[in-house]
Amino acid sequence: MSAPLSPGKAVVLERVRKSYGPVEVLRDFSLEITAGSFCTLLGASGSGKTTLLKLIAGFETLDGGAIQIGGRDVSHVPVNRRNIGMVFQNYALFPHMSVRDNVAFGLEMRRVPKAEAAPRITEALAMVGLEGLERRAPRELSGGQQQRVALARALVIRPDILLMDEPLGALDKTLRASLQRQIKQLQARLGVTIIFVTHDQEEALHMSDLIVVLEKGRIEQAGTPQELYRRPANRFVASFLGECNILTLDGTPHGIRPEKLRLGAMASTLPHRREGVVSELTFLGPHLRVTADTAEGPLTALTDADHATACRLGERILLGFSGEDAMPLADSPNATP
Amino acid sequence: MAGGSAGRHLGWAVLPLGVVLAVLFLWPVAQLLGLSFDSPAGPLGHYARILAVPAYRTALATTFQIAALVTLLAVLLAYPLAYLMATVPPRVAKLLTLCVLLPFWTSALVRTTAWIILLQRNGVLNALLTGSGLLEAPVAFVYNLSGVLIGMSHVLMPFVVLPLYGAFRGIDQNLVHAAETLGAGPWALCRRIFLPLTAPGVMAGATIVFMNALGYYITPSLMGGPAQTMVAQLIAFNINQQLDWGLAGALSLAMLLATLAVFFLFQAVFGLERLMGGAHASGRIGTPFALGPRGRSPGGRVMALLGAGVALFLIAPVLVVFPMSLGSSPFLAFPPQNFSLRWYEEFFSRPQWMASVWNSLTVAGIAVAGSTLLGTAAALGLSRLRGPLARLVETAFLLPMIVPHIILAIGLFGMMAPWGLVRGPWALGLAHIVVAAPFVVITVRAALRGVDPNLELAALGLGAGWFTMFRRVLLPGILPGIASGAVFAFITSFDDVVLALFLTNVRSRTLPKLMYEGVAHEINPTITAVAALIVLFTVLVLLLNLLLQRRAR
Ligand SMILES: Nc1ncnc2c1ncn2[C@@H]1O[C@H](COP(=O)(O)OP(=O)(O)OP(=O)(O)O)[C@@H](O)[C@H]1O
Ligand SMILES: [Mg+2]
Repeated sequence: MSAPLSPGKAVVLERVRKSYGPVEVLRDFSLEITAGSFCTLLGASGSGKTTLLKLIAGFETLDGGAIQIGGRDVSHVPVNRRNIGMVFQNYALFPHMSVRDNVAFGLEMRRVPKAEAAPRITEALAMVGLEGLERRAPRELSGGQQQRVALARALVIRPDILLMDEPLGALDKTLRASLQRQIKQLQARLGVTIIFVTHDQEEALHMSDLIVVLEKGRIEQAGTPQELYRRPANRFVASFLGECNILTLDGTPHGIRPEKLRLGAMASTLPHRREGVVSELTFLGPHLRVTADTAEGPLTALTDADHATACRLGERILLGFSGEDAMPLADSPNATP
Repeated sequence: MAGGSAGRHLGWAVLPLGVVLAVLFLWPVAQLLGLSFDSPAGPLGHYARILAVPAYRTALATTFQIAALVTLLAVLLAYPLAYLMATVPPRVAKLLTLCVLLPFWTSALVRTTAWIILLQRNGVLNALLTGSGLLEAPVAFVYNLSGVLIGMSHVLMPFVVLPLYGAFRGIDQNLVHAAETLGAGPWALCRRIFLPLTAPGVMAGATIVFMNALGYYITPSLMGGPAQTMVAQLIAFNINQQLDWGLAGALSLAMLLATLAVFFLFQAVFGLERLMGGAHASGRIGTPFALGPRGRSPGGRVMALLGAGVALFLIAPVLVVFPMSLGSSPFLAFPPQNFSLRWYEEFFSRPQWMASVWNSLTVAGIAVAGSTLLGTAAALGLSRLRGPLARLVETAFLLPMIVPHIILAIGLFGMMAPWGLVRGPWALGLAHIVVAAPFVVITVRAALRGVDPNLELAALGLGAGWFTMFRRVLLPGILPGIASGAVFAFITSFDDVVLALFLTNVRSRTLPKLMYEGVAHEINPTITAVAALIVLFTVLVLLLNLLLQRRAR
């Protein structure tokens, strides 16, 4: 295998601001992404993910702040000089060019000599498993194949960073999973910095080194998947990433993951207990999802399916958890005016 | 099956229009062409003469040259304008669209009149240029090649601008973004992305322009000189002056074959849909391309400036008739001194003008009623036909739009004059049905595609008979299409000169024909008043159409 095609570069956003008319989409947005890492922007629709990518790529101009790529301030550098790869949700392949010409385009723009370009194109297409489809037109390819062409087209130019805006959003579930794996492997091999947008939290958990949870143009929390799952900073992050029960402990809100709630006999030995009536039972194969109505509202637990015999709809049940599994939650930055 | 036999046999509804076209279109045209093989010097005698006489050979060459030049000019001028339209805020784009559509729908005769007023030796342009000292002596812009090129590209350019604008709007913003991230600057974007992606739209428009230009009659005969004599003028000359029907027929066949060759070439390469429906990019997701926040590149700024110039070129002649018609001097002078409504009074008080208005409206009435009825039925019938038959019938229905009007005019003249039909409105009315019905077929077909076929089936499934279903479900759905078709039919009839020149006489002549006679002689101020009124009237009809479409939505 060849050496890494491009050592990725670090991206630094400093107090970035962007408004569309009266709508302030990003306010004082700061973030550091280390070179070669996989960073996912996760957030609800309209939270500003695409806007952020557009600013990094240069499709939009900053209202304030600065963006650095690999230590260079690119705030005023036009798009075509930023050396950025971009993959779009709708693939955006050039419909009038063959697969090969699509991949060759970036090299032509960089005036790479033909003799050097040819092996690079072949290698890029091989990398995404598309050997033999060089002469096809984009419309003759499936969605997954088109997105892999887009990936090859973006990577062949050896970009400093690769931006991906919901690249897998239009694909079905199995294809998504296989492309997720492929992208991860490519990144490990090439060492390129990736900024990836999704609103699929599982995708974010599977792929990222760094997850940035966005809401209304602000960072709710940034951290590794483990940090975000085990120590969510606030209610919003707790319930946005995975399922979470919110209850009050010592007068402050705490989150507790369903898989940390114990039921029945196993609950009775634990320090914190709640009592409730089973209102919902869902069989999930290896697990059973149990929802019980308690004085603090419904609580959901995830247990081994073997416990199925222990729970019946409408019966009273004891739920318990240990103190270390309760995660203290602060207020969200968006909650304060 | 409650659908009943009416629904199943709907395909037969194409028949009435088919019969009308056979009798009033195919037959007279075939007759004319047939005459071309009847000569004392053997069946190819007339053709031999065309090739032998230098004047005819030159006219054939001139016709192709002018058509090619006009097509080239139209494309070159359309690009900056379409680019400008696609990159300005929606409101400005609407205004620019108006600048394109207004001349598009005003009578070609009005525009030709306006250009002559602007360009002639004592015209507006020369007055401005000599007045400002840019020119020492007036320059001849008209009655020569420049006159023909200006007049014809003005008339025909919208056929390129509109599909080109559609093509620009069909370019996905993400494609442009993708190209930019890959390193494309403004020039590379233009050459590698915009040009190839808009090429099909341009080709469609250019084909229409070229086909139309080949058969042009009015503009070259009014704005050109002897050196710009085109085939259509020779055809008319042989009918009017020489009474040589055989030679006219031979010239017609030559022109027709050239036109059809272009048409079928296009159809083979791009398909008919594209020609008739403009160039719509396939249904891609994504937003249409727009200007980035960094604004235009220097090249883009030049293009935008040129585009604004082209918009002015399109709208200026339509607007200039207003001030010109308000002057009080019997000679056209710019700027007009002493405003007055004198020429409007003249128009309304002269019986010959009023009679021609009445004739025009009668003919338009016949044309609208006939073409709407036949065209709607034909569109309904076409929607039930499948396979090669459907394609054949559809092509046949569109032929009247493609065959140069001068050929149809002469063919019908030969057929109807002996019956004395040209004394009344019928000869012209029937001819206008032939040329207007294709518009109705197209608009109603488009509307039919928009009606959900499931709705139709649901209504039938609920037990409605076919006629009830038609009245309650189908008709309301296609009514806007029928209305647009009727408006187009009206404008087509009301603006026509070529057919009117041959199919009416002194008593039955229409408004455009009377104007034509005036313009060919000398433009007097009354004609500018008439032109201004026609522009106003066209605006009103277009607004009405817009209103109808809004209401329907
Ligand atoms: N060109 C624009 N003009 C005006 N407002 C805009 C524009 N682009 C985005 N916005 C607004 O900015 C906010 C953030 O939009 P953005 O596209 O960044 O969201 P997103 O997180 O990518 O959402 P999604 O998940 O739906 O793609 C939204 O409220 C949106 O309405
Ligand atoms: Mg988005």
